[in-house]
Amino acid sequence: MSFVFVNGVLSGVTDDPNKLVKEIIEDRRAGNIPKEVNIRYRKDTDSVMINSDGGRLLRALIVVKNGKPMVTKEDVQLIKEGHLTWQDLIDKGKIEYLDADEEELAYTALKEEDLTTEHTHLEITPLSVFGTQAALLPFINHSNAHRNVTAVKSVQQGVGIYTTNYLIRHDNDSMIAVDQQTPIVKTRMYDNEEFRSHVFGQNIVVAVLSYLGYNMDDAIIINKSSVERGLFRAMFFRPYKVEETKYVGGQSDLITIPDKDVAGYRSEDSYKYLDEDGIAQVNSHVNSGDVLIGRISPPRFVSSIDKFRLGVQKQVESSIECRTGEGGIVENVFVTSTAEGNKYVSLKIRQDRTVEIGDKFGPRSGQKGVVGMLLNQEDMPFTYSGIVPDLIFSPYSIPTRMSMAYLLELIGGKVGALGGRYVDGTSFTGEKEEDLRKELMEYGFRENGVETMYNGITGEEMKVRIFVGDMTYIRLKHFVANKIQWRARGPIQLLNRQPTEGKSKSGGLRLGEMEKDCFVAYGSAMTLKERFDSDKVAIPVCTKCGMVVVYNVKKRTGYCPIDGEDSQIKLIEVSASFKILLDELKAVGIYPKMVLGSKV
Amino acid sequence: MNMEIPEKYIVAFKAKYGENADMSELEKIYTRSLVTPGEAVGVIAAQSIGEASTQLTLKTKHAAGLSVINTTTGLPRLVEIFDAKKDISTPFMDIYLRQEYAKSRQKASEVANRIIEIKIGDVTSSYTVSLRKKSIEFVIDKELLKEYGFTVKDLTAKLSHMKVSTVVEGEVLSVVDKSADSVKKLIRLRNKIVDINLSGVPGVSRAILNQDKQGNYWIKTIGTNLTEILKIDEVDPVNTISNDIIEVSRVLGIEAARNLIIEEVNGTLENVGLIVDLRHIFLIADAMCLDGSVRGIGRYGLSGEADSVLARASFEVPLKHLIEAGLYHESDPFKYVANNIMSNQVIPVGTGGVELVVKQNGKGNSEEDSGENKEQ
Repeated sequence: MSFVFVNGVLSGVTDDPNKLVKEIIEDRRAGNIPKEVNIRYRKDTDSVMINSDGGRLLRALIVVKNGKPMVTKEDVQLIKEGHLTWQDLIDKGKIEYLDADEEELAYTALKEEDLTTEHTHLEITPLSVFGTQAALLPFINHSNAHRNVTAVKSVQQGVGIYTTNYLIRHDNDSMIAVDQQTPIVKTRMYDNEEFRSHVFGQNIVVAVLSYLGYNMDDAIIINKSSVERGLFRAMFFRPYKVEETKYVGGQSDLITIPDKDVAGYRSEDSYKYLDEDGIAQVNSHVNSGDVLIGRISPPRFVSSIDKFRLGVQKQVESSIECRTGEGGIVENVFVTSTAEGNKYVSLKIRQDRTVEIGDKFGPRSGQKGVVGMLLNQEDMPFTYSGIVPDLIFSPYSIPTRMSMAYLLELIGGKVGALGGRYVDGTSFTGEKEEDLRKELMEYGFRENGVETMYNGITGEEMKVRIFVGDMTYIRLKHFVANKIQWRARGPIQLLNRQPTEGKSKSGGLRLGEMEKDCFVAYGSAMTLKERFDSDKVAIPVCTKCGMVVVYNVKKRTGYCPIDGEDSQIKLIEVSASFKILLDELKAVGIYPKMVLGSKV
Repeated sequence: MNMEIPEKYIVAFKAKYGENADMSELEKIYTRSLVTPGEAVGVIAAQSIGEASTQLTLKTKHAAGLSVINTTTGLPRLVEIFDAKKDISTPFMDIYLRQEYAKSRQKASEVANRIIEIKIGDVTSSYTVSLRKKSIEFVIDKELLKEYGFTVKDLTAKLSHMKVSTVVEGEVLSVVDKSADSVKKLIRLRNKIVDINLSGVPGVSRAILNQDKQGNYWIKTIGTNLTEILKIDEVDPVNTISNDIIEVSRVLGIEAARNLIIEEVNGTLENVGLIVDLRHIFLIADAMCLDGSVRGIGRYGLSGEADSVLARASFEVPLKHLIEAGLYHESDPFKYVANNIMSNQVIPVGTGGVELVVKQNGKGNSEEDSGENKEQ
């Protein structure tokens, strides 16, 4: 006797679980019960699980009976002619949806040729074992599985046109590639209507060689002249959003050009781009520090400061300025109101992002790399026919990663470029390597894709033949311009006087504990002290009680609250954080007495 | 430390001071100049082993199913050694035999069989607890009992010193404890009885016979008990060793424990193909064995016993150390790295380790740089 669970709830028992499973599956195929119902018999727990609830991932498979797929050639023909639809196939029980549970019962063949009488299902196409993302990658059945995972992650970071209405959207971190092309080596996934308006990447000439040492490891060299012609040009949008908040007591922010008598008024120059409404004019070229949206707020701490100040309280300036290092062109401005009825302004800045050293690029085979050098076209190597590569990729990246998809795409791209056609690189069913090689030979090239190349600087012929071809490269979203940061002097934290942290606050780069250990191990004690001098303070200490005392720096006098006026006071240099530690010890009732000695 | 002075120094020394010069003087000079004064040997040792152990995590091989005895290796073993753990996860012994026994497989295997511990639990198959009868009834596996060469009487004899009465009926051995008033107590009694040693060395659960290249047999065991094993006549007490550092320090002394630490750390690292200079390991082993007992490196070991209050507080559980310092009027001499870094002073290491010997006013440097006391 086996238990029967419906959506996880014990609902009955059965003596013949296999018969029940068979009947329910047949009923579903016949259309008597909904298509989404899945059933499975578990031998280990001797129970039948029936699931009809939401949230289960379902996969469509062709039903196979006696080694013959239910979807016949005639069906396919009828679909092509438009007499039959997908829904018809499902209604007839020729295609069914399985969930993770019922998949355990299924014996699925990848291809029609593989079918035996034991099979219960057949994949609609071998490509459907991949997800949408993996199906976009060419020849991945030739690559290491780990590379394919990396490739999918790379492609996800690609810059393209993520939405066609990007001009009227104010998304954070939105990037748009100016020019994008359909890859020469496509997969069947690219024929999808939805995908055609969202292609990304560019077809470029790639040479696999080591050149000048600037493409070591995963670095790449890009042709500077190609970049100047517009290769991989992208736009970066940064929205700035401001609300006219209303405060208790009827006061409110005001978006306007601040008056000169407003507290915290910047220079007149920083407001120069503002229009009469207090918002920067569209198409003005702004730089970091320029005010984009002028705003004044009512005075803060209304009650407390009143007592000390006479006259009318000043409004406080609270404008939004352009971020440091992120100048650009004001793209557009939206003025609307929030649900509470406050005025809401959103302003978008456009920045042009041409390729620079350190930007990240990747093909569709997980061989991502970073620009190590932008080289003028005249210095780039060239082939016998005068082809100059756009990108030079290091051959040392290939053997350890075994990403054969890269090499196949390179040959495929070359064939496609020479033949003026798209190459089908769909996994399992795409064009074969031998055919591509044969076709390449017909165009008068070596079948393995190598060509004679010449050094662009000396003009000498290279001693080896260079593997060169066309393939799709994608610009990835990690731009150097968004990440670069440095500091010599800058803002500090209020509490411990240490440098602030993080790029947005132009913070310092932390010399951490392990880095500290390296200085200790090397024995450079003075350098180490200097590195930690960022928060040094001179604190006055009473030599008698060993506590911090009252001190007038200008008059160089002070007194100890414990030992009085006559006590001897010494200034000692410690870090501000150490003083905080002493203060906190005092707060918990521990007396930290400093005993002073002389250094010389 | 056993070291050889390079030939060129000997030649130079003799050239300067003559053929009959005192060589011990050269040795002194050479030893002194091996390490620069103020060199941060501790940090360098820590970094040298620490960097290697980051690779250890990646390289640890899964040995499951490869060998008969699966010992802890890699990072877990290193942590075990440096923490001076009392119960290590895979204790084992390498027992070597005296020459006259080592050559014969029969004699060696006789020793191996003798040291395997057999408990009462090993010869009983099941048990029932009855609170009404205040008894535990064990079902004896007579075949096993016979195989191990015991009789039922041996069992009852082992129980005779306990305050229980025993009755044997066929295959059932019932143990009656009149004082038992709860099932919990009976279960506790049962666990105690099951653990009673019938024969062999307590703690040794398995013994495996091995043969080295010279044809000598030696025994590898799971579980250690050096004290008992060294009492056995056939065992060669010089070479026999356990991998339990605490046990070795108790049985063979602190020097043996120090050598074992060095051997185990080096062996663990070498096992995965990492080479760390032995002197780094020497330093750590010396520090661990400094006070005559094996101390781990950590809150309850070396780091927890530092002189400096601030150094201890900056490591772990700061409040505990600070409050204790306040209660017991501790002072911090500001001689170490951690506290000088905290207060932004020059650390007494490397270039910061030098001081003026002669003072301008003629006085010596008796005062401390800047010290700190704590009172409540």
